[in-house]
Amino acid sequence: MVVIILEKVPASVRGELTRWLLELKTGVFVGNVSGAVRDALWLQVCSKMKGGAGMLLHNTANEQGYAIRLHGKTARQIENLDGLLLMRIPAVDKPEGQPEAPQL
Amino acid sequence: MAMKDLHALPKVRDSFSYLYVEHKKIDQEDKAIALHDKAGKVPVPCAGLTSLLLGPGTSITHAAVKTLADNGCLVLWLGEAGVRFYAQGLGETRSARNLLRQAWASTHPPARLQVVRRLYEMRFPDPLEPGLTLQQIRGHEGIRVREAYARMSRETGVAWHGRSYRRDDWSEADPINRALSAANSCLYGVCHAAIVSAGYSPALGFIHTGKMLSFVYDVADLYKAETTIPLAFRAVSEGPYELESRVRRACRDTFYREKLLQKIVPDLDQVLAAATPPADELEDYDGTDDPPGGLWDPQSGTLRGGVNWAEDAGEEPERR
Repeated sequence: MVVIILEKVPASVRGELTRWLLELKTGVFVGNVSGAVRDALWLQVCSKMKGGAGMLLHNTANEQGYAIRLHGKTARQIENLDGLLLMRIPAVDKPEGQPEAPQL
Repeated sequence: MAMKDLHALPKVRDSFSYLYVEHKKIDQEDKAIALHDKAGKVPVPCAGLTSLLLGPGTSITHAAVKTLADNGCLVLWLGEAGVRFYAQGLGETRSARNLLRQAWASTHPPARLQVVRRLYEMRFPDPLEPGLTLQQIRGHEGIRVREAYARMSRETGVAWHGRSYRRDDWSEADPINRALSAANSCLYGVCHAAIVSAGYSPALGFIHTGKMLSFVYDVADLYKAETTIPLAFRAVSEGPYELESRVRRACRDTFYREKLLQKIVPDLDQVLAAATPPADELEDYDGTDDPPGGLWDPQSGTLRGGVNWAEDAGEEPERR
């Protein structure tokens, strides 16, 4: 299974993806494609993001059972702890309520 | 929240083998736990984790330890170079059945010998000759382990002068000994977690004896030749950069490839099945809503628990 989550990408990128994957909600795609197709799709998406960001999630033969790939400035980053992939939620520099929270 | 239904927790075979953390603060975070540092936080799916290995520079809160214990995640404190100095855990079973079986087998010499033979047999590809004495089996085991080190030394070109480390100065140890220590810490952690999770005692060893982790050493020895010894030699042969971290990463891959987490609990049961107590009076207690445990009696067998036996004192029951 393949899951792609996109943030702030051109509508055409999302439109193109829906030819292969199901868009569960805006920017969240799921489907079952081969590894080769998945890599080709991801390459396409990454090259057309135009400042947006995305993450790819697919199952693979490791302890977790899946791999995660990020592209662009996603709000959360992967934390690789000796091979276990967890997500890092960055600290917010400015207190809440203030305008322009840093876009990480 | 105490875990009401233990079945909600992933079994050992479906879990992540371990998580090693250093220089971070571990705190409760929205009913789960998270690693905190200056740059932010990293939530940890602790219900699916068998063991959390805390390295130098970690601090952990009371609430986080409680959450980990509730979720059956073993917490191990490791010193520098991955040397374990303290461990704590609460198993994922409320039944004492396995522990009673283990206690019986470890205290009855003929049963214990059968378990010891089984533990050794599981390490050899071919069955042991039935006539071998324990002394002879130990001899064969010594040869097997020596050959495992020698073979990996030949394959990787890493010089091997024997397992040696100085307790007072770990940095003195050569890279292969440091790599082996780091890898074995992970392996011991996973074995310890599986032992506790299945309701056995880490202290009641069969081959090993006298230490609080004797049974952990018994079980870990089943897997060293296929897991930690080869991966430690390979890691050292690839250079000194971030040796311990690369070793731990190799542990995760090797444990996955060797299906360690799938094998370990069935292996424990198979080890103990080598000797079964004659009359199986072990009742099942597995949840928080179970009746109270029984009371042992040398004449009548197990008496019902949760009952006031004041009448047996030969006096009138309590009057109001």
